[in-house]
Amino acid sequence: MANNAITPRFGKRVAAAWISTVLLAIGLTVVLALPGPPPRRHPQRIPVRMWHMWTAEWKEVVERIVARFNESQEVYEVLPLSVPMINADAKLLLAVAGGDPPDVMAQWNPVIPKWAESGLLQPLNNLMSPAEWEEFQRDAYPAVKKIGVYKGNLYGVTTGLNTFACYIRLDYLREAGLDLAQFPDSIEGLGAWGDKLRRVDAQGNIKRMGFMPIYFTYYAPAFGDGFYDWRTGRLQLKTPENLRALNFLADQRRELGFQNVVRFESGLQIGLGNMDWPFMTGAYAIMADGQWRVEQIARYAPTLEYATRPIPPPAGGRKHFGYTNGNFMIIPKGARQVQGAWEFIKFWSGLAQPERAAEFYTWGGWLPPLPAIANAPIYREYVRQHPQFQTFLDLLPSENLQPIPPVPFQVYLFDRITQADEAAVRGSLTPEEALDRLEQEIAREIESRKEFGYEN
Amino acid sequence: MRKNWTGYLFISPWLTGFFLFTAIPFLVSVYLSFTRYDVVSAPVWVGLANYRKLLFGDPLFWTALRITFEYALIAVPAGILTGVGLAILLNLDLRGISVYRTIFYLPSIIPIVATSVVFVWILNPQIGLVNAVLRLFHIVGPAWLMDTKWAFWSLVLMSLWSVGGSMIIYLAGLKDIPAALYEAAIIDGAGPWQRTRHITLPMLTPVIFFNLIMGVIGAFQYFTQPYIMTNGGPEDSTQFYALYLFNRAWRYLDMGYASAMAWILFLVVMFFTVLIFRTHARWVHYGQ
Repeated sequence: MANNAITPRFGKRVAAAWISTVLLAIGLTVVLALPGPPPRRHPQRIPVRMWHMWTAEWKEVVERIVARFNESQEVYEVLPLSVPMINADAKLLLAVAGGDPPDVMAQWNPVIPKWAESGLLQPLNNLMSPAEWEEFQRDAYPAVKKIGVYKGNLYGVTTGLNTFACYIRLDYLREAGLDLAQFPDSIEGLGAWGDKLRRVDAQGNIKRMGFMPIYFTYYAPAFGDGFYDWRTGRLQLKTPENLRALNFLADQRRELGFQNVVRFESGLQIGLGNMDWPFMTGAYAIMADGQWRVEQIARYAPTLEYATRPIPPPAGGRKHFGYTNGNFMIIPKGARQVQGAWEFIKFWSGLAQPERAAEFYTWGGWLPPLPAIANAPIYREYVRQHPQFQTFLDLLPSENLQPIPPVPFQVYLFDRITQADEAAVRGSLTPEEALDRLEQEIAREIESRKEFGYEN
Repeated sequence: MRKNWTGYLFISPWLTGFFLFTAIPFLVSVYLSFTRYDVVSAPVWVGLANYRKLLFGDPLFWTALRITFEYALIAVPAGILTGVGLAILLNLDLRGISVYRTIFYLPSIIPIVATSVVFVWILNPQIGLVNAVLRLFHIVGPAWLMDTKWAFWSLVLMSLWSVGGSMIIYLAGLKDIPAALYEAAIIDGAGPWQRTRHITLPMLTPVIFFNLIMGVIGAFQYFTQPYIMTNGGPEDSTQFYALYLFNRAWRYLDMGYASAMAWILFLVVMFFTVLIFRTHARWVHYGQ
């Protein structure tokens, strides 16, 4: 009889079992109650599946543009999907290989030459009439063509260019007794301003950076043709001009001490969407950055006094230079709704109606691919409200804005240029040695591509 | 026979998955390693070109192999020493020892991605915890992940963070050692060090052997931490083999080349595994 009695231990076990069951039931209820994907608003229309990599506030902008397109339509409904940036490319490749790709994708990685060579992209000029293609080639800003065209075909339509210019804090200029009207017209002069604006503590640690030129890809086009002869389509890596550019960057870094700069930069948050962008927080007096920061300052630090100016060229160098990239739309091989995708691309990019699209570019603080958009009243009004934006617009017609050269091994080239840059500014190699190594690496890659049967 | 079929039927879900997602890709990758292949277009036969390029025309391949080999040579023994040491300490009969065991085991169940992101902050030269502690002793810490000399060692150091997983196995091994051996040794006058040297370590060698094999295989496949924390930099100082393989496959779309790299890695891992197996008769004691 005693064996059948409910002992405290048995009671605890029963209680634990009940608690576990209840918790499991609550968990399952929560999971099942989570909302699924929103139902389609226009199920009778042809769906156009769009992938993009934007998140947070940028995702909202994309969804607004999509909503505007869907409102304007009676045939198609664009269904946007934000895919994680870190593996979006792999996801697309597998989707194409699996025969179920999206109809259109917004990209910004340097993928066009390689993907075009692999037959992964559809040439978009085939969707244009000869007159439209001619008009595009005539009107689009040079950087738009450099980014989107490969071997004479258009594979990506830009929906927002990125350029870089100097952001200047006026309060720090006043503090150092500098006058914006006297802004240097050479990079060497800007270096001297940087020295006056820099603040270091008693131990020699940098507390505020005056100005620090970084990235070989930004500065190579200031000293010469950069890495690519756009007329002949030939790579040019170790040229006297590129060597000067790399020497300049290495010298600047050496002056401040590489470790010193690393320590300073490591304490800063440098992200595209961060509210603690170092310029806003006061860690930099003058900083080269992209045009999207104008919108960010307006939103997060509206009282900040600042100006923008193009990065001045080196003595005897080229004006309005720099690296450029952008957001562009592609249509992958195997897309089911090519026409619907193309309609959407034309709608967003402004190829269809520049005046209508101008509004979208103001929502994202994006630089347009066509002068017709930049000159649209709604865009002019945006620039009037954000006068600092004009600096970036002024850069757009320049031939000295250059993306990574459009070779099929573009990503490899970009990685090796970055390594050469790093080795030179860290002092592991002299700039000359770094360029020698870069040239050898790329020559080897080209040689091996020939052995593999590639055309170039 | 009928009995066998029932058994196969029960394991058929696993077998199907194994053939579809492991065995067939494994065999297909042999073929792909002799082709140029970018996932989208059909593979093109190139014979031994991938292997020729790897062995004679790609210095980064050798850099990646060297770095990975150095990592296996340093991090695996360091992990074993730390794991065994911790297991011996946590095998003591102390009050609240199970709490200590839990504390040391916990890091190994935290997802490695989360750990990597946290370590990026911990090792930040300016605002990181490690350098902040060093500053208390008036030591200027290095730039860790941003320094070519320290980035590799930062990853080695970090590998010890998740040593709790192997520590538990060592602990189980220690519990398995018959108490009679220690009692006999004490009667014979053996001190703590002699008991550790002549009883604990020899009796633990089967577990050490297991962890060594798994550690070497894991080290040659080391990927997540450098991918998240350094992306191979600075200046290729943490360009691990698996990371370079991944980049070749997914960044440069050289699937054929990456397949060849994977096969070379397989042979390297096999070589070291066989080598360790060959030596085990000399140093692994099974208590007979």
